[in-house]
Amino acid sequence: MSTLADGLARWLGERWGTTVTVAGLDQSSAGARRTNIGFDATADGVTRRLAATILPTADIQLIDLGAEADVRTLAQANGVITPFIHGACLDPSVIGGPFFVSDFVTGESVPRRVLRLVEQAGNGERIAAQIADALARLHAVDPALAPAGLPRPADGVGPISTALGGVRDSIGLLLQPEPALLYGLRWLEANRPDEPARRTIVHSDVRTGNVIVAPDGLRAILDWETAKIGDPMEDLAWPCLRMWRFRNDHLLVGGISRIEPYRDAYLAAGGAWDQDRFEWWRVLGTLRWGLGLANQAAQHLDGRFRTIVMAASGRRVSELTWDLLCLITPPGGRID
Amino acid sequence: MQYRPTAAELLADIADLLDDEVLEAVGGPLQHKVRVAGNLARILEREVRLAPGADAAEAERLRALLGRDGTLAELRAALAIRLGDPTPFDADTERAVHAALVATTRADLAIAKPGHDDWSRG
Repeated sequence: MSTLADGLARWLGERWGTTVTVAGLDQSSAGARRTNIGFDATADGVTRRLAATILPTADIQLIDLGAEADVRTLAQANGVITPFIHGACLDPSVIGGPFFVSDFVTGESVPRRVLRLVEQAGNGERIAAQIADALARLHAVDPALAPAGLPRPADGVGPISTALGGVRDSIGLLLQPEPALLYGLRWLEANRPDEPARRTIVHSDVRTGNVIVAPDGLRAILDWETAKIGDPMEDLAWPCLRMWRFRNDHLLVGGISRIEPYRDAYLAAGGAWDQDRFEWWRVLGTLRWGLGLANQAAQHLDGRFRTIVMAASGRRVSELTWDLLCLITPPGGRID
Repeated sequence: MQYRPTAAELLADIADLLDDEVLEAVGGPLQHKVRVAGNLARILEREVRLAPGADAAEAERLRALLGRDGTLAELRAALAIRLGDPTPFDADTERAVHAALVATTRADLAIAKPGHDDWSRG
C-alpha cells in the first residue's frame, strides 16, 4: 500500500508543483476491470479527499484512459455531473497500472443501497430527471469536440448498423446455437429503425450502479470507459433495461422511477426523443448483455479469464433470454 | 448405481457448506467467489433433478414446431438455421416459435433463476 501512496503523492506533487502527502487509502470498489481507491491528499496545509481509478494493466482498457478523462472533462464543462478529473497517468510504472485521479464524491452507488436510499428519500423521479437532463447536456455537445480516441462507427455506417453488426458477430461466436438469441437478432433486423439524424457522444453505460446518489439527488455519473460516438437514444434506453432494476421491476428507469419524469426532463433540456429507437435499443441492449454473459463463460472455458464468477455467467444467459422474449412478443402472442 | 446421498442431495450439502460455513471463514474478494460457488451448487442441484424432464419437453416442442425428428441438439440446430433465414413466418408460426422459446426459457429459469419469470413486461 505504501508504494501506492508514495506513487500517488509523487505524481500529484509533480502536477501541483508542491509537496503532497497521501494517507487514508480505502478501496471503495473493485470491479473485474478496474479498482477505485479513495485517499486524502494534503498539500500546503489543505487536505482533499480524492479517488484514484486504477487499471491493473494497460491491456484491458476499452478506450484509452486519457480519452476517458478527456471526455469526462468535456462532459463536465457542458454541465454533466461527473467528478472533476485532476489528471490521468498512462505510464504503468508510477503505481503499477494506468490511472486517473478525480474528486471523491460521497453517496451511494451500490444498487441495492441506491434503491433503499431512493425509497427512503422519495427522490427517485428527481434522480431519473437529473440523469435525463445530464444525458441531454452530453448529447448536445458538438461531437467534433470529442477526443480522437473515442470509438465511432466507420465512415458511411450508422450506429444502428454498427450495433447490429456487433451483435451478429457475437452470435457467430456462441459455443452452441441459442435459438432465442437468434430470434432476438431476427426481430432487430426486421424492426430496424432509420439511422439517427444526429450522432452524438454517448456514455452508453449510465444506469443504476454507475451513478452516485444522495438524499439531495444525483451526485455523479461514473465509469466513462464505454463512451463512444453513437445514437443518443441508446443512452436513454440502457438505464431502462430490466437488469438495472434489481427486482424493483415496476419502476422502468433503473428501479427508481416511472418513465414520464425521465422522458419529460430529456425533452425539457432540448433532447429529441424517438420512441421507436428507444424500444429498439432496449431489445438490442438486452440481447447484447445476454451475449456478453455468454462471452464471459467462453472466456472462462478457453482460459482467457478463468474464474468461477465468469463461469457462473453462463448460467445467467436465460435471464436475459427471458427479458428479451418479453420485449418482443409478437402481435396476438402473450406470455402466460 | 451409487448409494445415497443422490447427486442432488450432495450438491445441496455442498451449497450448505459454502453458504453456512465457508463464507464466514473467508474474507475479502474470496467471499464473493464463495457466494457465487454456493449459488452454482444450488443451480446444479436443481439441474440434476429438473434437466432430464426439461430437455425431453424441449425436444418434444421442437419436434412439433419443426415437423421432424432428431436429438435435442439436432433440433435446436435446425431451429437456429430456420431463424437465420430472414424469410418472415406467417403470424401463427411466429406466435408458435415465440411460445416455444418462452416455454424453454421458463424451464431453464426454473433451474438457473427461479422467480425471474414473475415479471413478464420486459
